[in-house]
Amino acid sequence: MKPAIEIRDLHKHFDLSHSGVASIKTALLWFRKRRIERLEVLRGVTFTLNQGETVALVGRNGAGKSTLLSLIARVYKPSSGTIEVNGRVAPLLELGAGFHPDLTGLENIQFNGVILGLTRKELAKRVDRIVAFAELENHIDTPVRTYSSGMMARLGFAIAAHVDADIMIVDEVLAVGDFAFEEKCYAKIEEFRANGGSILFVSHNFESIYRVADRCIWMRNGVVAMEGDPHQVVSAYREAGE
Amino acid sequence: MPSLTLDFRHGLFIGIFAPENQVVNRRYSDRMRKELRELWRFRELLFTLVERELRIRYKNSSLGFAWSLLNPLITALVMTTVFGLFMQQGGIKSYGLYVLAGYLPYLFFQFAIMDSAQSIYNALPIVKKVYFPREILPLAAVLSNFIHFLLALGALVVICVGVWAAYGDLPLKRTIVFVPILMIIQLALVTGLSLMVSALNTFYEDVKYIVSVLLYLLFFLSPVLYFSEQVRDAPTANSGLLFNIYHLNPMAALCTGYKKLLLDNAAVPDRKGGTLVPLEMNWSQVGVAALFSLAVLWIGYVMFNRMKWRFVERP
Repeated sequence: MKPAIEIRDLHKHFDLSHSGVASIKTALLWFRKRRIERLEVLRGVTFTLNQGETVALVGRNGAGKSTLLSLIARVYKPSSGTIEVNGRVAPLLELGAGFHPDLTGLENIQFNGVILGLTRKELAKRVDRIVAFAELENHIDTPVRTYSSGMMARLGFAIAAHVDADIMIVDEVLAVGDFAFEEKCYAKIEEFRANGGSILFVSHNFESIYRVADRCIWMRNGVVAMEGDPHQVVSAYREAGE
Repeated sequence: MPSLTLDFRHGLFIGIFAPENQVVNRRYSDRMRKELRELWRFRELLFTLVERELRIRYKNSSLGFAWSLLNPLITALVMTTVFGLFMQQGGIKSYGLYVLAGYLPYLFFQFAIMDSAQSIYNALPIVKKVYFPREILPLAAVLSNFIHFLLALGALVVICVGVWAAYGDLPLKRTIVFVPILMIIQLALVTGLSLMVSALNTFYEDVKYIVSVLLYLLFFLSPVLYFSEQVRDAPTANSGLLFNIYHLNPMAALCTGYKKLLLDNAAVPDRKGGTLVPLEMNWSQVGVAALFSLAVLWIGYVMFNRMKWRFVERP
């Protein structure tokens, strides 16, 4: 069986400019003086996410975790190296990722569902379930900008959980809802795993790592510092004082 | 062999010359075909976006579609009054219809490009989080404006029928069946330009201001308020050459084409109080515009694909 995600020697660098606002005017004015700084975020990451496996990513801010997830979600193009993804990915990146603030909750469900690869027919069948799961029946017709962070997280998770993805990538969003919703999320994640889905998630909450992860990867300075049993990796990570 | 690598990436033409850093051993046409397949795979998203734009446009006001027709109608009314009363277009029967026949296509051109210019920049928060083919954003802006253009042309036909009912002669011509050819050419032109402008505006936010000035100027260089016969009649030694150069502007060729195919030849007054010899529909001008538009579409699409991965990494 092919792995869900296979990453080989992945590099990603960004070019940061210090010339300020992007406009033709500044480009002309700063043509000689512009300073471009190359920021290497990932320097050769290799790992595999097997089908049905749940892997946690830990590491300090700036270690490259979110960049890695964005690369898997195909938001960025790798500088070099390969990413092979087998199956439909449901990315759940940060709070309210991909929501349009001026559209209502319902419109955002439609918009996001289609972005995640559902057809409108498939989506129409699921809308009620998504709304019910997010517990937003009373707010679904108001613009998302009026939502609290908890409401947005609930909606985001509800959509991602109902698109029948094969792989879920989650960037530290589970800690935003209240306790009852968190439990509901864990129940959904268990169901997703039981059905053979794979999960890659970033978390700073060790409890949740122990609870769901089969394996843990510690990222440091853009490389995999250690991978293996969650308890061992987390304790090594904590001992490193990070 | 020593090789010279020029890195223009952070210069004015950001991204246009950016080296392709993924899968280099694939042929160029294969890559393009892959991009197009990917676009087709996401067609549902395109339709959803178009639907959303149209809903915002027509449902957010109680007057809906009529409201969005107000701009061209009022413009035509003002133009008819100003040019009809103060200038030599005065004697032309149903001058307002001729203005509309050129102005509606021009509005489509203008609004589609201006809407696309903003489309990616405005959607950056989403573009930075989720993947979908980025060209869907300008394409949605173009398509929603195209649908609006079709509806507005329908309204023009209704107005013509109204004129028929009131005055007894229908100003429409049978050649209206060829109008879709012009529409396809214009769609290619608008799509190509929109792809270019949307990509450039994502990197340089002042591109949209430059483009809006250019569009404003191009309006006067296109035969919306006047007629191609008057261009032919320009009081210069080389009016024939000028006429041909003038129609190299694809929007000039298209505006003339719409007027010729939709409406009867107008009796355009000349400078001495006589009437100019009406010109017939000139398909070779339209042919040149078609070639130009296809080239623009191709260049726009290639340019966009070169730049689209860098939208999220905008310096």
